Amino acid sequence: MVFLQQVVNGIALGGIYSLIAIGWTTVFGIIGMINWTHGEIFMIGAFTGYFLITKFHFTLMPALLVAMVVSGIAAVLVDRLAYRPLRKKGSPRLALFITALGASTFLRYSASTLWQPHARAYPAVMDMKVITLFAFHGQRITMNNLQLAIFLITIVIMVGLQFFITRTRTGKAMLAASQDFETVGLMGVEAENLVTVTFMISGVLGGAAGVLVGTLYAIDPLMGALAGLKGWAVAVIGGVGSISGSMVSGVMLGILENLTSGYISTGFKDAIGFIIMMLTLLMWPQGLMGSKVEDKV
Amino acid sequence: MVNTNTSPVRFPGRLTGRTAFFIALPVLLAVLFLDTVIPTESSVVSPYLKHILMMWMTYSTLTLSLNIVTGYTGQTSLGHAAFFGFGAFTSAVLTTVYHVPFWVAFLVAGLVTALFAIPLGAPALRIRGHFLVVVTYGFGEVLRYIALNTDALGGTSGIPGVPAPSFFWSFNDIGRSGKEAYILAGFLLLTGVAYFVSRMENSPTGLAFAAIREDEVAAGAMGVNPSYYKLLAFSLAGLFAGFAGSLHASYLTFVSSDLLGSYQSILILTMVVVGGTRSIAGSILGAGIVVVAPEVLKYLKELLHLPFDPWLLMYGLLLVIMMRVRPDGILGADNARKAGRRR
Repeated sequence: MVFLQQVVNGIALGGIYSLIAIGWTTVFGIIGMINWTHGEIFMIGAFTGYFLITKFHFTLMPALLVAMVVSGIAAVLVDRLAYRPLRKKGSPRLALFITALGASTFLRYSASTLWQPHARAYPAVMDMKVITLFAFHGQRITMNNLQLAIFLITIVIMVGLQFFITRTRTGKAMLAASQDFETVGLMGVEAENLVTVTFMISGVLGGAAGVLVGTLYAIDPLMGALAGLKGWAVAVIGGVGSISGSMVSGVMLGILENLTSGYISTGFKDAIGFIIMMLTLLMWPQGLMGSKVEDKV
Repeated sequence: MVNTNTSPVRFPGRLTGRTAFFIALPVLLAVLFLDTVIPTESSVVSPYLKHILMMWMTYSTLTLSLNIVTGYTGQTSLGHAAFFGFGAFTSAVLTTVYHVPFWVAFLVAGLVTALFAIPLGAPALRIRGHFLVVVTYGFGEVLRYIALNTDALGGTSGIPGVPAPSFFWSFNDIGRSGKEAYILAGFLLLTGVAYFVSRMENSPTGLAFAAIREDEVAAGAMGVNPSYYKLLAFSLAGLFAGFAGSLHASYLTFVSSDLLGSYQSILILTMVVVGGTRSIAGSILGAGIVVVAPEVLKYLKELLHLPFDPWLLMYGLLLVIMMRVRPDGILGADNARKAGRRR
């Protein structure tokens, strides 16, 4: 029973990990770089939501939507200012990666300078109610309505994304680009626009994850570092480029983290994601649901 | 050997490694011991500057050792602090718990770290590029969590009281500030590593590293065993970083899990990138810039009463600008043209 309760507790957080991971994986799928600033975009989303709710008295949903747009724009700006000039020059991917590392440090400490480094919490966004999922011999498995709402919002966003990618022309172009970027360019798709759309989507998802995390935990300007990495770990475990893989492995990581802190030690809660990621890369480098990438000479 | 340079260490202009060493050594000795020989009211060179000098020596050694992996062999690693910290912890545990003499602990720390580098290098056999970066990063972070959560390794408070090395006298009793002997030892270690790297560059091993960096598949086809040479590169880097870690532990008399963290790893990679990949002088320059810049900016901060530390902002921007302007670093081997074609 305790075990099942731990599993249920991990689901909401797991959904948020999935959102972050999908943001990583879409960008990696299209331009093949690890967008190290994704954690910072997530942090920007969390802070936008925080300021909207505390200063402008927004309710959760409008704050979520506005924060998603703001993070989306932030992600596009990062691409324009930092990555695009390098892409145009045809710089090696390592240069792109180190640029991302630098941009991420810059954003992180700019936020820390601007907003002060201390941690803060969202005010209560809804009245807390505990919902009994099911009862068995007098023991109950419960979930509070906030966790349930987070999980439902996550699912709505993912279904929306799936719809966008498989049903719209832009989405289909993105799918094609993730298979072969150059050929899609030759087929008459404006490749740079596609990259902008991808960063927009990635930012929107990161921002949503930021606000949702804010409703559960305290936020601070350096939060992006660990959350971003966990998102990347989830993306790798699920198979880079695979959206459904990210969904499944995100929820899996959320649950495993809860089990780790419940049964092993809270100190290792944050390490478990990295351990699984390394084992995954060593044993199934293509991830749980990814497709194998062939080496080209 | 294509390169017919008489001296293996190539500094910019005509300054060779050997000349640089023979110029640097007396200058260093003068700077360190002037106030010991000629007693003055206040010290000629403040202990604060001597501390910065020591950090420069340590980080130069680390940068050079990471350059073997990242520069020469082309395997980007964000876990180099793991080696540094591993060496420091090994040395600290050996000297404080088992009371092993420092020099034995120093050798053991290097060798154990070299062995330990093999499992960290192992992922490089199967994965490359971005994935390797993330795995090495994760490796360092996991080690940090282990150090944080293991009481035998000091947990959150670290291991205090790491004893000083002695060479006839205890290191703390040599010189006026007690830092002089460490700086000399750090300088000799750095020189040793620099000499090794300079000899390695055009040796068969160095050429094998270069072959793997340029094209791993082709290197395999030419009879270079990529697995062996990649592990060798990681192991050599581990050996030198372990030595540096051991000396660092005694210098600070204290080790903590912060040594293993990603901040350190990113810092060391920054030094390689800023100074120059595959350049010995570049590594030393890069380490110097990254060690000195925060101190200068801290001074500026106090001078201008800035409410924030400008270094943390500058440091990110520095990376972005370097990549835009000189992707191979200030003194790096100029291969932007070649690298643009691949990866």
